Amino acid sequence: MTAAVPFAQPEVRHEGHLKVTGQARYTGDHYPDGVLHVACLASPTPHATITRIETRAARETAGVHAVLTGADIGDVRFGRHLRDLPVLATDRVRFIGQRVAAVAAETREAAEEAVRLIEVDYDDLPPVFDPRQALTSDAPVLHPEAAGYLTMRGGTRELLEHLNLQGDLLTGHDPEEMERAFEAADRVFEHTFRTPRQHQGYIEPHGALVWFEGEVCHVISTNKAPFTLRSHMAAVTGHPAEKIDVYNRFIGGDFGGKGFSIDEFVCFYLARATGRPVRSVMSYVEELSGAGPRHAAEITLRTGVTRTGVFVAHSADVVFDGGAYAAGKAAADLVPHGGLDTMSAYAVPATRHRLRTVYTNSVPGGHMRAPGEVQAVFAGETHVDLIAEELGLDPLELRRRNLRGADRVADGAATVAEEVLSRAAAGVDWTATRSPGRGVGIAVYRRKGGAGRGGVVLRALDADRFEVVTGAADQGSGTVTMIARVAAAALGVDESCIEVIQQPTAVAMFDQGAGASRVTRVLGAATLLAATDLRKMLAEAPRFPIEVAREAEAPRAEDSHAFGAVSVEVEVDVETGQITVLSAVLVADTGTVINPLSHRGQLEGGFAFGLGAALMEELPVEDGQVLAGSLGDYKLPTAPDMPPLTVVNVGDTEGTGPFGAKPVGEFGNLGVAPAIGNAVARATGVRLRQLPLSAEAVYRAVTEARPQE
Amino acid sequence: MSGSHETITVTVNGLQRRVVTSPARPVLDVLREDLGLTGTKEGCSVGVCGACSILIDGQLMSACLVPVGELDGRDVTTVEGLASEDGELSAVQGAFLRCGAFQCGICTPGQVVAATALLAECPAPTPEQVREWMMGNLCRCTGYYSIVSAVLEAAAEARETSA
Repeated sequence: MTAAVPFAQPEVRHEGHLKVTGQARYTGDHYPDGVLHVACLASPTPHATITRIETRAARETAGVHAVLTGADIGDVRFGRHLRDLPVLATDRVRFIGQRVAAVAAETREAAEEAVRLIEVDYDDLPPVFDPRQALTSDAPVLHPEAAGYLTMRGGTRELLEHLNLQGDLLTGHDPEEMERAFEAADRVFEHTFRTPRQHQGYIEPHGALVWFEGEVCHVISTNKAPFTLRSHMAAVTGHPAEKIDVYNRFIGGDFGGKGFSIDEFVCFYLARATGRPVRSVMSYVEELSGAGPRHAAEITLRTGVTRTGVFVAHSADVVFDGGAYAAGKAAADLVPHGGLDTMSAYAVPATRHRLRTVYTNSVPGGHMRAPGEVQAVFAGETHVDLIAEELGLDPLELRRRNLRGADRVADGAATVAEEVLSRAAAGVDWTATRSPGRGVGIAVYRRKGGAGRGGVVLRALDADRFEVVTGAADQGSGTVTMIARVAAAALGVDESCIEVIQQPTAVAMFDQGAGASRVTRVLGAATLLAATDLRKMLAEAPRFPIEVAREAEAPRAEDSHAFGAVSVEVEVDVETGQITVLSAVLVADTGTVINPLSHRGQLEGGFAFGLGAALMEELPVEDGQVLAGSLGDYKLPTAPDMPPLTVVNVGDTEGTGPFGAKPVGEFGNLGVAPAIGNAVARATGVRLRQLPLSAEAVYRAVTEARPQE
Repeated sequence: MSGSHETITVTVNGLQRRVVTSPARPVLDVLREDLGLTGTKEGCSVGVCGACSILIDGQLMSACLVPVGELDGRDVTTVEGLASEDGELSAVQGAFLRCGAFQCGICTPGQVVAATALLAECPAPTPEQVREWMMGNLCRCTGYYSIVSAVLEAAAEARETSA
């Protein structure tokens, strides 16, 4: 089936013309008549009760139409799963940057001026910033009322052993089994790793435009899951879901962050209070201090190994700094699940993981491209290198001996995992002799993903004109073009015959939204179903117009997985600590590729995303204050930072997506940091167990490792 | 609050426009809010990301940093002014489309404007010159590889056309 599919021809993005000419309209590009601009007052203190709010001067400011506080809208809370974050604080603030009041005014300047005139008295409470400390018995409790918090599914939350725990997930073998498994090991290795908060760094900040037409609430926003946003807005505000219409079309970057809505709720109340369209676009200061960055983590790994280098037991204790609210996490157990993937590429017979997320008085954590997994793969793949070092084994060989699926080779052929690993090693000439200060490093992983549900309507207008209607918002990955190409291939028509139309939630079929690398697997599958059925119907009895609606569901992320590996050669200047990545190879176990340019773009862009996280990105927080105030302080990779990169697609294993496609969205970034860290260790003998691998960190470690004179 | 208003006359994409506004307002806000030219994007608001790149008298500038009062009598080109009047894409725009040099597209107008400025100044750049020049335009999606390819392809195409 796959051979006949015309996906080899590189795609021209259907929306590309709009993007290169500046005509693509994003949320912030809408300025309807009478629009009001929003500014919010943020808490300046990490933990306090609010004793007084005075808004009179703000309300009297010229151009101001509404000033709202928690007293006006009540204790209304939202969150992707747990509704613990107030739209506006009522009696208490729990992080610097938490919204306390909101203003809608004729101009942004007037709104900001009014915000400056709001007076708030705070009575400071003792803060807690360290997650381990927050779990002690005498730590200040951030949410004494947690038992009453609702979830988006309607129930209340499960109470855990400490009130400061957001989530506590235990999986794997029971402690007795683990103890026996570790006893069978010849050696047991334990290492602890730390990873910082990092920001998604999309160039388009969060934003929303909300207006009412009669009872119908219209929303255009940066949220990548319009149907989920609709149900959340209904649950939070009490406005009926059928009277909320969300139309999110172009999204200026996501990387996990755009599933978390913030502005939509405050805009709802301001639009209702003023009767005007209300527009809120976050400043980058607000982004960095309150939009749900990647969780900082402390990860302790323990692995039992036989004399011959076979892993027999592995346990992980992962503590994520959840920040002041759990609202940014979508999963019901309120932990970044990727934390389970500390040994994702390996077959280990006994494993046990404990993932905890802890309330602290810092910016709430959210999702960022492979949440939890980035942290876990850095720790795991550094741990494996450390084990190799201590056993005196080649780190490549230790990995080979333990790869998942290695025991299933019957005829001596390499498994996909082996091929991925070998191609990465060969790509940097693994065994070559190198001059001092240079070294190679490698990391391998297995990524799962793509679960979800969504549907499309496919309409035949005549024999060579088809429309596909979807409610999907495209955050840049090429959804519209993917749908068109799948439809064209399944209908047996040219791609130019297909028009994909993005429609609001009131018109389109349900779609779970972009996230978890699901769009191609789910919406591609729905499109394939619709096109296959429509083709059959047209073959039997051609008549126009005719339409079919089909839905697809991918129940389990585990059903779809792909191996990946990254290898790099680095040069380290020991006088300055500067790391130069001389070359890099990213190997992906790829199924059928539907959009070749976008697929390559996801891998290259994923690599760049991983490079930033590895070398430069850290959202520093001191006593609850985020210290990066702009994209000048929070440094993202630029064009000259990018090393020569070779992308290798291997394997003709079929994925579970349409025509055998595999997810690729949260893939290219996973192995970059450990590969670079491992290369630095081989180049210098210095091992870093935290990110980022900055020049300062390398310099410090090299200096400390030098013999004292 | 925003001071007294002035009348500013500026040529934008070949058309003379007159705006009455506070001269202190950033050009970016005037383009987007007063003139309806939303192709120029606001990202960082502090001149770091390059999403608001425009040409002022042919010079590459960040529209978020320039007060509109400085534009009186000058000539501005935004992304909307790059294609020909009949809609034909410029060499840079066409190369971005063919090379897939964008994903979400929010930085693309700025990238395209910056690349246009580079090729005006340096019609045959090396890959390294492209990377250095484009340093002021952040892209979080692509990793820049396809952007560099597109700029080089546009340069080659422009040279062929003019040869």
